[in-house]
Amino acid sequence: MPLDYAIHERTLTNGLRVVIQPDHRVPTVTVNIWVNVGSRHESPGRTGFAHLFEHLMFQGSANVASGEHFSALMAEGGRLNATTWFDRTNYFETVPTGALELALWLEADRHGHLLEAVNQANLDNQRDVVKEEKRQRYDNVPYGHALSDVYATIFPAGHPYHHPTIGSMEDLDAALLLDVHTFYKQYYGPNNSVLTLVGDVTPEDGFALVKKHFGHLPRSATDQRPRLPQLPPLSHPVRLERVEDVPNDRLYLAFRLPAEGGSEYLATSIALDVLGGLTTSRLETRLVRGDEMANSVHTAAMGLIDGVSLGLVIVDIADGQDVAQVENAVVEELERLGAEGVTEAEMQAVLAQSERGWLTALAANDDRADIISHFATLHHDAQYINTFLDRLGEITATRVGEVARTWLRGHQRAVVTYRARPATADRAGEPAEGALAAAGVAGDGVADVATDTVEGR
Amino acid sequence: MRLEHTREAAQSTTGAPARPVIGPPADWNFPSARSFALANGMQAVVHDVPGQYVISVRASIPLPLRSEPERIEGVAALMCRLLDEGTAAHPGQSFAQQMEQTGMAMGAAMTEAGLGIDMDVPARRLGDALALMMEAVTQPDLAADDVARLVRTRLAEIEQERASAPHRAAREFAATFYDASERISRPSGGTHESVAAITREDVLDFHRRHMAPAGAAVVVAGDLTGIDIDALLAEHVGAWENPDAAPRDVITAPPQTAADRTRIVFVDRPGSVQSEFIVGCLGPDRQVEEAWAPFPVLAYLVGGSPTARIDAVLREERGYTYGIRSTFRPRVRGGQFLTHGSVRADATAESVRELLDILEGGLDGFSEAERGAGVDYLAKTAPGRYDTAGAIADEAAGLALEGLSSTFTSDNLRRIRALGVADLDAAWRAWIAPGEWTVVIVGDAADHADAVRALGRGDVTVVPN
Repeated sequence: MPLDYAIHERTLTNGLRVVIQPDHRVPTVTVNIWVNVGSRHESPGRTGFAHLFEHLMFQGSANVASGEHFSALMAEGGRLNATTWFDRTNYFETVPTGALELALWLEADRHGHLLEAVNQANLDNQRDVVKEEKRQRYDNVPYGHALSDVYATIFPAGHPYHHPTIGSMEDLDAALLLDVHTFYKQYYGPNNSVLTLVGDVTPEDGFALVKKHFGHLPRSATDQRPRLPQLPPLSHPVRLERVEDVPNDRLYLAFRLPAEGGSEYLATSIALDVLGGLTTSRLETRLVRGDEMANSVHTAAMGLIDGVSLGLVIVDIADGQDVAQVENAVVEELERLGAEGVTEAEMQAVLAQSERGWLTALAANDDRADIISHFATLHHDAQYINTFLDRLGEITATRVGEVARTWLRGHQRAVVTYRARPATADRAGEPAEGALAAAGVAGDGVADVATDTVEGR
Repeated sequence: MRLEHTREAAQSTTGAPARPVIGPPADWNFPSARSFALANGMQAVVHDVPGQYVISVRASIPLPLRSEPERIEGVAALMCRLLDEGTAAHPGQSFAQQMEQTGMAMGAAMTEAGLGIDMDVPARRLGDALALMMEAVTQPDLAADDVARLVRTRLAEIEQERASAPHRAAREFAATFYDASERISRPSGGTHESVAAITREDVLDFHRRHMAPAGAAVVVAGDLTGIDIDALLAEHVGAWENPDAAPRDVITAPPQTAADRTRIVFVDRPGSVQSEFIVGCLGPDRQVEEAWAPFPVLAYLVGGSPTARIDAVLREERGYTYGIRSTFRPRVRGGQFLTHGSVRADATAESVRELLDILEGGLDGFSEAERGAGVDYLAKTAPGRYDTAGAIADEAAGLALEGLSSTFTSDNLRRIRALGVADLDAAWRAWIAPGEWTVVIVGDAADHADAVRALGRGDVTVVPN
């Protein structure tokens, strides 16, 4: 199904790529800036730095006081934040149309003139804040370190994705003001960024305003290394076992997948949906409904660009069930997927669900801007949102079977197991470790639980 | 707000233009809906939103959580999950297959006020999806093996929630704040004991007695170009009847609070590297619609941003927290003012003291600068907060369930813009009183409970996790 969001692109002489997608339904504009730097660029001993740096972008710049980026925009009706991930850092605000120029001015000041304002007090304060973010979202939550364990198990030491974006306490402690200067000069600048506007703005006005506020900035970022070559799948299983204070046993099977950006990666994502991403998926049918060995099953394809993506199968083991038996069942289903391929009915279900999911992801201006920036920054394809569903639809069931045979074989798995510590064991000492942070709290009953792993502001 | 002023010199930014002047925001109102009654008495609310290609359908059924028998609390939430596990026409997983091929997503959930059904689907499949949604609502199998499986799943989830500090804090807060006779003093999804007691017959009986169109509303939002939505709603929703339904329970009074709610409860989790907390007191509901406007502004000023009063100290000055948030939470009748977050473990007592001081400091009044910033934030963010079909449908369904007028959202924004400092001060003083706090802390009691006790801000009870 073809989509036809009108998307306009232009590149300033300093290298800033500008993308404008007019949408006049409501009188707001989203400004979304992707900087092509993430935790994959961090050097040894400085894990977590890209994210810590992102926090400092809110602590003032040449003409903006500490905290003023937040307060000035919020007082004009802006909603804003920033996040850091393996491959990128994004900064974004949605503002009433009349405040668009203020947003651009504030962004240009910190993207062009940050270092005038950075100081030791700000660095120390935000280091503390980030450490509390780490404790809240990882250290004080059940299964909180599981994904970090997965990265460390499946990616080789020294690989850009071997460590999590949140980094380690030791490395956060080690960060120096000098590192801030070096990092900014190397990675921040118009020639390493994409600026997307979505909303109540015409292409003419939008390009003129961006040029007015960003046009004077020098092409300051230095050239990046080429992306790493594709990592091959594991040749044999590797595993890590932990015994922790968790409510039930949980199994993480991880796979190296093709880097994001082509049909081979998309085909592996379809294979993982057939395996565990649908209510009628094979693992759900077998493990949750059939054998009742699992409380739940999740699969995910995490698209990454530096020579590898990550495939995940996560199984919450039912009380009293044997972890090894569950793992064997998953391996059997992986092998069957490769040997027998997928059915047309499974393909139809995945495509129908992907269509709704994609249209929903594009529904809000701020989300649409972020997806446009993603593919413009990492794949030089600002029009991607219009073509994704067609690309997905071109992938055949045969192709899905082929990629399953290549990338999702049982022997290619990395396995991280979290086993519940027996209730009688000594519980003192080690803190409970956990997964993902709670975003909000209701007065009774159930709080919202965020499941993203992106480091927020 | 505690802003530092912009530095005046711009010596280092050669070529940069001067700070721009802000243009006035455009007029905006919450989109108006077309509302009409269906043959079965249900209220239909239709928002045509061009350019929104996924249609959002929300059904609100005013079935209060307290309709559950106490012995099997959690049965309503369990029934919600069972709806799409198979129907008379599409037994077992064949129903899920139908939903997936249609490209729809559906969920149902309970709140204190009622049962909500969410359904999203691309526009061209709306008819098929409405048919399936109503099939799930009216003819679910509620099969014995599915009941047993989802009971088991729910029991495992209860343990997951117990292990999560924010969930654990919320559960303890409800139990401490409300009188034990109130349903909302207990977990909305039931306890281990009550969920384990639920049988298929219980779910069938609950469905037969309570799943009914009386007082319910259906909201549709999205790009309805070329869709005869009135005919679709009449065919699929308006024909729904349930002659066996019990009379509806109607909530007419605020829940009773616990006589000893003003105290501090410390849930002991040895080894916690942070302390999670909820601090709360009574707050307003929205039954007097005109009176609601100041409360979202106050919550924002106190705990709504990194520069709000709480985070300006505990985050930006001290670095004790990733962020702490306040909210006035209206219920059907009565409400709460809640502040929640987590802090570094060794800053537990100091954070509680600072927090209570900041909250009680609001009694000294809010400044004109704060009023301006808070009013502008709430009033001017509204267009962006309601820019999708899903957000519009959620808001409209919430208004219907709470019995508020369809113009409430726009009317409230107008009232927010008119607020003065005196309005904010009076609203704060109407609900906030020194020492009237319920405090729940989830953390290492051996290390920190004595320091909290030494604050002298209330009796401290330590309970196990």
